[in-house]
Amino acid sequence: MSIAPAPAPTQVATFRPSGRTRIISIIMIVIGLLTALVFGLGSAASAHSSLTFTPINLANAPWHLGRLTLLTRWTNVILGLITVALGAEVFLRQPRRGVMVRFGVVAVLFLLALLLWASRAPGPSQVGYVNVTAVLIGSSEVAMVLIFGALSGLMCERSGVVNIAIEGQYIGGAFFGSVIASTTHDFFLAAIAGMVAGALLGLLLAFLSLRYLVDQIIVGVVIVTMISYLSSYLNLQVLTPYPQYNTGNLAPNLPIPLLSKIPIIGPVFFNQSAFFYLMLVLVGVISFALFKTRYGLHVRAVGEHPHAAATVGINVVRVRYINVVLGGAIAGIGGVAFMASQGQFQPGYTSGLGYIALAAMIFGRWRPSGAVAASVIFGLSVYLSENLQAYSIPISTEILGMFPYIITIVVVAGLIGRVRAPGADGIPYRHD
Amino acid sequence: MRLELRAITKRFGSLVANDQISITVEPGQIHSLLGENGAGKSTLMNVLFGLLHPDDGEILIDGVPTTFENSGEAVRRGIGMVHQHFMLVPVFTVAENVVLGFEPTKSFNRVDYQKATDDIRRVSKEFNLEVDPDAIIESLPVGIQQRVEILKALSHDAQLLILDEPTAVLTPQEIDALMEIMRSLAAAGKSILFITHKLKEVKAIADVITIIRQGKVVGTAEPSASESELASMMVGRDVVLTVQKEPFSPGEDVFEIRDLVVRDDRGLAAVNGVSLDVRAGEILALAGVQGNGQTELVEAIAGMRPVESGTITLNGHDITNASPRKVLDAGLGHIPEDRQRNGLVMSMTVADNLVLNTPRRAPFAKRGTRNLAAVNANAVRLINEFDIRTESPQELVSSLSGGNQQKVIVARELSRDLKFLVASQPTRGLDVGSIEYVHRQMVNHRNLGNAALVVSSELDEVFALADRIAVMYAGKISGVVDPSVSRESIGLLMAGTITETAHD
Repeated sequence: MSIAPAPAPTQVATFRPSGRTRIISIIMIVIGLLTALVFGLGSAASAHSSLTFTPINLANAPWHLGRLTLLTRWTNVILGLITVALGAEVFLRQPRRGVMVRFGVVAVLFLLALLLWASRAPGPSQVGYVNVTAVLIGSSEVAMVLIFGALSGLMCERSGVVNIAIEGQYIGGAFFGSVIASTTHDFFLAAIAGMVAGALLGLLLAFLSLRYLVDQIIVGVVIVTMISYLSSYLNLQVLTPYPQYNTGNLAPNLPIPLLSKIPIIGPVFFNQSAFFYLMLVLVGVISFALFKTRYGLHVRAVGEHPHAAATVGINVVRVRYINVVLGGAIAGIGGVAFMASQGQFQPGYTSGLGYIALAAMIFGRWRPSGAVAASVIFGLSVYLSENLQAYSIPISTEILGMFPYIITIVVVAGLIGRVRAPGADGIPYRHD
Repeated sequence: MRLELRAITKRFGSLVANDQISITVEPGQIHSLLGENGAGKSTLMNVLFGLLHPDDGEILIDGVPTTFENSGEAVRRGIGMVHQHFMLVPVFTVAENVVLGFEPTKSFNRVDYQKATDDIRRVSKEFNLEVDPDAIIESLPVGIQQRVEILKALSHDAQLLILDEPTAVLTPQEIDALMEIMRSLAAAGKSILFITHKLKEVKAIADVITIIRQGKVVGTAEPSASESELASMMVGRDVVLTVQKEPFSPGEDVFEIRDLVVRDDRGLAAVNGVSLDVRAGEILALAGVQGNGQTELVEAIAGMRPVESGTITLNGHDITNASPRKVLDAGLGHIPEDRQRNGLVMSMTVADNLVLNTPRRAPFAKRGTRNLAAVNANAVRLINEFDIRTESPQELVSSLSGGNQQKVIVARELSRDLKFLVASQPTRGLDVGSIEYVHRQMVNHRNLGNAALVVSSELDEVFALADRIAVMYAGKISGVVDPSVSRESIGLLMAGTITETAHD
């Protein structure tokens, strides 16, 4: 009979940040210098960057904002110096909290500077301006998909099961969502179909990891791989010969009266598809359920210390089943939402968004609000990596495509050991 | 509550963990269940608490036969359990932990924390158990966490409280406080089932003592029975509770630590400026409550954990941040805290485990090939010499009992040419007979003029072995004292309430 370890509380007082904080601060300073030197001083002194705000589709914009013209060089030098200052502050003060929040700010500043640099005129770009509203709308679509995924991961991990199969649940949701939407022309039914597909994959993950205690990461990866091949096969056998089952599924925008007419905010937040509004509701519902209700207390207890939960009569395995299936359903809707923003299903077109969603969940510290903030940053970065070619910048598409993943690596590496996952996250529960 | 267990039997495969156990606990009684590790006490309590289902026998509450599907049901029937490993969610508040599973709710299924907090305040006032309902569990000292566990049981209206080895992680003062609480609960009519293997505590608090051995009740005793009577009932033969030691004649400093700082896995300074000396012919015992940096200190000495700053010197060699191999070559013997993880390779034979840290050395290996005859001869010799109970040297070490596994480690370490022995919790989980044996071996080693550092959270062990006692608290040495001091003053050092550096 061993004895439970008893941490002495006074040890906390002797905490000194590890080298990791220092490494993050150095990365921030390097990013800042890069911004100032390449994007700032690398631009011609006479170059200007223009920001426009009027959306391309004027239907919901009875307003017109003028363009904001900035001197590219000095704007980016200032953005770079702000980044360096943030990095230096972290390096010198080594704050215990908020380091990753600062890193998030740095990521946004960097993306902004990149955009200003890419669109400078005179420069290589044919497009001499950045349409801020269009960038935000484009990013919000990616962010929406990521938020569904991050919420899915959060539901599972708060109960102690790692759901690395989000990508697979996206694919499953997108595939069935497209088929149902094409045949019924009803996005509500498509969402239900995607939910069921995701929930079934969640059930498979739950069954293997809860009944047979198979390693959750392995099960998750296997599910993703299986679904991506299965969907390619079905695509080739069914959707290619019968394209009528996979077409014209762009979800219509539902402008909210009055609110959608607000400059910038209106088109970004209040002229979106139903999936976007559903996502907003879901964030609120999940936050409430996890942190205010009896159900949420049980879920968190199961995720932190399943044996303690079991001793007060909570059925650990049942709570985990419920959450993993619900999480799968949420990711499945995310897949439908992604499909509905692209108009159809294509094999492989989720291209790792499910994993970025998982990183957003970690970056957001296993909280719905944090997941939203992180998804916005990742959404911006994914959107830019896909759209910067339009500015004919001298960086190849493939390198740009790596961009969101590089941010993911830095974020996740910077966070491990710094934020705390639920205590029993990924650990199979054995009743004894 | 009057609780009666009738002929409870629980089997795990061919092992009979509980064999026809019958016990009766009267209301207001403190009933102590005394037995060695592995005697079946915890199994019995898990049966009673609904975590395991008995194969046979029945549980009667106030004369009514009862079965529990799960522990939630046991709680609803008035049984509360304070587990040896606390069943508290470390990141939750006291209030969240206390109400978990029994939450008062408002509309929309929301937990009514206001009511929860009020209830906790009321119960803690009633039983004089002061706790802040909003405190986060992991920020509380162990003694208070235990109080939360008791409070949790009481707020679910427990009439019978099971305390499973509750004193293992407490300082002597915290143990006194716990006993005070137990007495007042009994006076309030609660029944208490107190599970332990510590004789002193049983004598101090129990109204009735039931002793179990190898899954069977072997008898009952009055608290007035002597410790050696209780021990022999528990073990099944007479045991010597004190170790014979030669007079203390220390020699040169063999081992020296200066201003050592070591971080734990979370990056906190678990060892924070420790300096110690151990001389030839001396056992220095390092006392302290679990988790005050002892584990990290030993790992740093053994080369298993990086040293942040400070030095470790063994026999004149600087072994700071040396690899485990270098440290062993410098003459360190190490009996690790977790013998199954760090002391043995469970899937290997006894013979191989006996040469685990010298496999490449002559005569066990030659030109890169093992000399199995020598390995076997070594095993046969040590099995005889250290009385290891095994069918053959080729038996897997995992099939040995805990005591014999520990003997394998002791034999392996003490049979090498050692300058210095570090033993961490060397008798944890062992039966009294094996404890006696391991203690004798370590004292022999010291009598031969060798140095040893023994880390233990059991004060009995500390007093039995030590020539000097160092006490560790919160990563620092809170005092170095002579073994003639009282348990109380050691307890104060363990709790960090006083610090002194009384040199001998």
